[in-house]
Amino acid sequence: MAAGDILLSVHDVWQKLGDAQILQGLTFDVRDRVRPGVVTGQVVGLLGPSGVGKTRLLRLIAGLDEPDRGSVRGPGGAPLPIGSVGFVMQSYPLLAHRTVLDNLRVAGETNGLSSTEARSKALALLDRFRLSERARYFPAQLSGGQRQRVAIAQQLVKQKTFLLMDEPFSGLDPAALEDVTKLIIEVANMDELNTVVLVTHDIRSALLISDTLFMLGRDRDAAGKIVSGAHIQKTYDLVEMGLAWRPDLEIDPSFPAIEREVKQAFKAL
Amino acid sequence: MAPTAPPATKTGPASGLLRRVFFPNQSLGSPFLLIVTAFWVAIALTVWSASPWASLPGPGEVLRAFGTLWWQQGMGPELFSTLKLICHATLLTVAISMALSYASIIAFFRPLVDAISKLRFLGLTGLVFPFTLLTGGGYTLKVWLLTFGMSTFFVTAMAQAVLEIPREQYDYMRVLGAGEGRIFWEVVVRGTLDKALDTLRQNLAMGWAMITMVEGISRAEGGVGALILNQNKHFHLAEVYAVLIAILVFGLLLDYLMAVSVRILCPHVLLQRVRR
Repeated sequence: MAAGDILLSVHDVWQKLGDAQILQGLTFDVRDRVRPGVVTGQVVGLLGPSGVGKTRLLRLIAGLDEPDRGSVRGPGGAPLPIGSVGFVMQSYPLLAHRTVLDNLRVAGETNGLSSTEARSKALALLDRFRLSERARYFPAQLSGGQRQRVAIAQQLVKQKTFLLMDEPFSGLDPAALEDVTKLIIEVANMDELNTVVLVTHDIRSALLISDTLFMLGRDRDAAGKIVSGAHIQKTYDLVEMGLAWRPDLEIDPSFPAIEREVKQAFKAL
Repeated sequence: MAPTAPPATKTGPASGLLRRVFFPNQSLGSPFLLIVTAFWVAIALTVWSASPWASLPGPGEVLRAFGTLWWQQGMGPELFSTLKLICHATLLTVAISMALSYASIIAFFRPLVDAISKLRFLGLTGLVFPFTLLTGGGYTLKVWLLTFGMSTFFVTAMAQAVLEIPREQYDYMRVLGAGEGRIFWEVVVRGTLDKALDTLRQNLAMGWAMITMVEGISRAEGGVGALILNQNKHFHLAEVYAVLIAILVFGLLLDYLMAVSVRILCPHVLLQRVRR
């Protein structure tokens, strides 16, 4: 793959839910970001109001649903079969009857690893996610933050290029929020092609970790009435704007202005 | 202005305990719960001992009748015969009901499962004749009557439990790359095992409650059902109560064993249950 190559292409996607047109002509590309000498994955933020179809879009990318029209393609235009894309769902579902270690082990086995490989990979991930002490716990014994980390770790037992995350910042305290943002960057930068697509309402966190922001919204008529399904209304290329990959971005004097601008654009969606 | 302290309330150890015992939605530790239970048992025994009703023999009389039944009329073997019957019927119920409930994830089998579930509205009494013709009577008749009685309720509860598995659980496993076989095992079988055991526990109680009626249909093979009906016939009231108490005690024992098996096989379930 060369710099700028398309890793994920969502082209003219339409989808209805009952009679309601949810997505309408949705099109965007995620390209390989390259920094010389630094392994740089992609972090794409997808912002949009509640009910606009963000989760629907993630389900399409994950292969859980088929679009009524249009296509979702991976690197080189290859289709993305179900199971090839990691997806951390909003409620962090886990197998309630299995321990944390077994949840990760099952994820390894379902992805074709042998039982021994899956176990050693699971143990390594638990260590890395500071969950080793919770290995024998059941999901019901975990806090919200721990549960989220297990759900993310589970998706990493088998390395996949894409990781979709639905509202990864919701309900987290400031310390946990910082942990998760670090974790997302770490996961993205594990491989040059790794791409994390996160759906969120948290504009600030999305700005701090993304290299691209897509604003998903619906068109309105002069009276303010919704007249279409959702599509990309605005794109922020944060690399081009000099705002990506900057640990000091939060204290940059220009940050409040761009945050305000994105918030204004969000309100108009 | 400095914040003012809230008014002091009277919460000594004694008033705290009283509050926990008598106020709604309070949790009580095991030792205190045992004391409360012992209190109610004592009340029940006192009422029973002081009972003026001739139709209710006293505890001493029932205890003596129990001794007679146990040592002279073979109550032990009768109980064993009943336990064998219920175990046999339960095994068949579990095999048939679980297979049908799990089959409900396949559209082809859903009407069949629904139809079997609806049969729970049929009483057993009317079914004795056709079941006698089908099974030839005796022990087999009793096993199948009990199996039928339990299975229709078991299938209803378990098919509902399978139906209520959130779609998200299936999607989550698919995203992990699991095939439909692994999804079936993890989500449907293992994921509903606690509900299956709970349902079995309830159905076992129902089967146990039906046992005297079913054993009364064919008394040749004995059992506590036959025993109690024979005592009824001779109006041996103390013996009848002795058998009833034995049925209750063994029923509670079976229920306890089921509760223990839930604890062993599904320890995660206890973590999700809050007792108030």
